[in-house]
Amino acid sequence: MNFSLFSSHSTHKKQRIFCPFLCTCLFILNSHSIYALEVITHPDNTAQLEQLKQQHNLASVFAMRTLYWPNGERIRVIVLPDNNTIHQRFVKENLHLFPHQLRRTWNRLTYTGTGQAPNTVDSIAEMQELVNQTKNSIGYIDKGESHE
Amino acid sequence: MNKFTFTSFTFLCCLLFSVNSVIAAENIPAPASSLENDDFKWADYKKQWMDDIQIHGFLSQGLFSTSGNNVYGKSKDSVSAGSTEIGLNISYQALNNLSFAVQGLYRRAGESTGPEGTVSLDFAFIDYTFFRHQAGRFGIRAGRVKNPWGLYNETRDVAATHPTIFLPLAYYERSRALFVSMDGGQFYSDYNTNIGNFTFKFNLGLTNPADKELLAAITYNPSIQGNLTSDLSLVANLNYEIDNGKYIFALSYANLNLGYDGQTLDPYKDLNAKIDSFMLSAQYNGERLSLTAEYALQWNKFNQLYNPFPPPGNTFDASPVSEHWYVQAGYRILNTLQATLRYDSSVQDINDRKGINSSQNPPFLPAHIMFTQDIVFGMRWDITPAWMLRAEYHRVHGSSTVSAFDNPNLIQQAEHWNIYALQLAYQF
Repeated sequence: MNFSLFSSHSTHKKQRIFCPFLCTCLFILNSHSIYALEVITHPDNTAQLEQLKQQHNLASVFAMRTLYWPNGERIRVIVLPDNNTIHQRFVKENLHLFPHQLRRTWNRLTYTGTGQAPNTVDSIAEMQELVNQTKNSIGYIDKGESHE
Repeated sequence: MNKFTFTSFTFLCCLLFSVNSVIAAENIPAPASSLENDDFKWADYKKQWMDDIQIHGFLSQGLFSTSGNNVYGKSKDSVSAGSTEIGLNISYQALNNLSFAVQGLYRRAGESTGPEGTVSLDFAFIDYTFFRHQAGRFGIRAGRVKNPWGLYNETRDVAATHPTIFLPLAYYERSRALFVSMDGGQFYSDYNTNIGNFTFKFNLGLTNPADKELLAAITYNPSIQGNLTSDLSLVANLNYEIDNGKYIFALSYANLNLGYDGQTLDPYKDLNAKIDSFMLSAQYNGERLSLTAEYALQWNKFNQLYNPFPPPGNTFDASPVSEHWYVQAGYRILNTLQATLRYDSSVQDINDRKGINSSQNPPFLPAHIMFTQDIVFGMRWDITPAWMLRAEYHRVHGSSTVSAFDNPNLIQQAEHWNIYALQLAYQF
C-alpha cells in the first residue's frame, strides 16, 4: 500500500472520505478471499463430528484411513472433483495435504478393490444436498457462498 | 479357486444388473400422495443400496516407435499401437465390516497376448474386517487378490497410477505374471499413529504363472510347449506413510515357487523354480516435487533347465541373483502438467553384471541380454481428472527386459536403442 498518495494537503479532505471507502473495499475483498471452508455432516451426526475431530485427524478421514464414526457406523465421504478450486483449497488449508496425495490413496483403494473412494459431486450446492440426504456423511462447504 | 472366482464374478454381475434396475426405477415419476409413506421407505432403502456400490474403470492406449528392438508389437523403425488396457470393477460394501470386490481386465500387449488380446479376472475377493479399534483394523481378503509388491505393482495396469508409460524395470512386463495377483488370501492390518500410518499385507496362495512370456524369460526359448504352474507362494508388504503419503517407506518380500506342466517327452518336464525377492521403496510427495527410489534383489533358483546344445538331453541348474533399482524425480510445473526423469538399472545376475560370462557359455547369446540401463524423460498432462495424455523418451542400453515374443531372434537384439511413446488414458 502506497501511503504517500494521501500525504499532500490538497487531498486531506478527499482522504477523510476515501479512506473508509477504501477500507470497506479492502475488507470486502479480503473477506471474500479468506472466507473459511468448513466441514459439514448429516444433521444426525453433528455431535459425532465433534467427537470424531477430537479422536482423529480429519486428513485421515478424507484419506479413507479412519473409516468409522465413534458410534461404529461407516463414514461416507463426499468430495468435489480434483480440479475444483474449493477442493484444492480445502485439501491444502484444512487437511494440510495436496490433492494428488489423496488421489494416489483413492486410486489404490479403487483399483485394488481394497476400499471405496469418496463419492464425487460437481458443485457445493450438490454437496450440501447430498450430505443432508445421506446418513453418516461428511463433506465440506465454502461459508462465503450462498447455498440456498 | 477358478470355480470360486467364477461364482463371485457371476454374483457381482447380478449385483450390477440390480443397480441398473434401481437406477431405472428412480427415473419413474413419484406416484400419488396416498402411497407416499410406503414409497418413502422404499426410496430410503434404494438410496442406501446405491451408496454401498461403486463401479469404476480405466482404459489406456499406447503408441510406440523404437529403434533396435520391438516393444508392444512391431515398433522398430515403425509405429505400433500394441498396448491396450481396459478394466472395470465393482465393489459392494455389504456390511460395515464385510465387502466384495471384483475387477475384469482386457489387455493387449504386443505379440505376447496377440492382436486379439486377453481377458482375465484381475481380482475377486470377499473382504472381512474381523477386528477394529480406534487406531486401526485387522482383516482377511479371500479369493484372488493383488500382490502388494513395491509402490506400483498392485495398480500396474492402471495408467494414471504411475508417472511414466513404462513402469520401472523392477516391474518389467516379462515377469508380470509372477507378481500380478494371487489366488488364496490376504491378511491385512492398518495401524494409524501420531507419527504415521502403518499397513501390513500378507498374501498366501498360488500365483498365476501360466504365461509364455515368463516361461521364455526363464528358458530363453519362446517356442516351449508346456506351462508354468504355481506351488504355495507368499508376498508380504509393510508400508509406512507419514502425513498421509507425503513420505512413504515400504519393504516388500516375495517367496514364489513354480513348477512345470508338460508332456511326458517334453525336455523341460522336470523344470522348477524358487524365487526369493525383496524390495525397498521410498517416496517423497511434495506439492510440486516428487522423489522416488526403489531397490530390489532377487535370488532365483532354476532347476532342471534343459540344455539344447550338445551333449543332448542334459539339464542344468542356474541360480542367478538379479538386481533392479531406480531413482526418479517428478516435478509438477502446473497442477495438471508433470515432468518425470528416471535412471533405471536392471541386471540379470549380479555375479555377471556385464553378461560376459553368460555370453561365453551355451547358448552363446549376446552379453547385453543380461542387463538394461534406461534413462527416461516423460511429460504427463492431466487434461481433466478423468483424461490423461503423456509422452516419453527412453535411451536404453541392453535388452534384458524386452519381450521374447516381440523380439524372437535373441541374437539380433540391439544393445543401444531408443523408445518414443505416447499414451492416452481414461479413468472413472
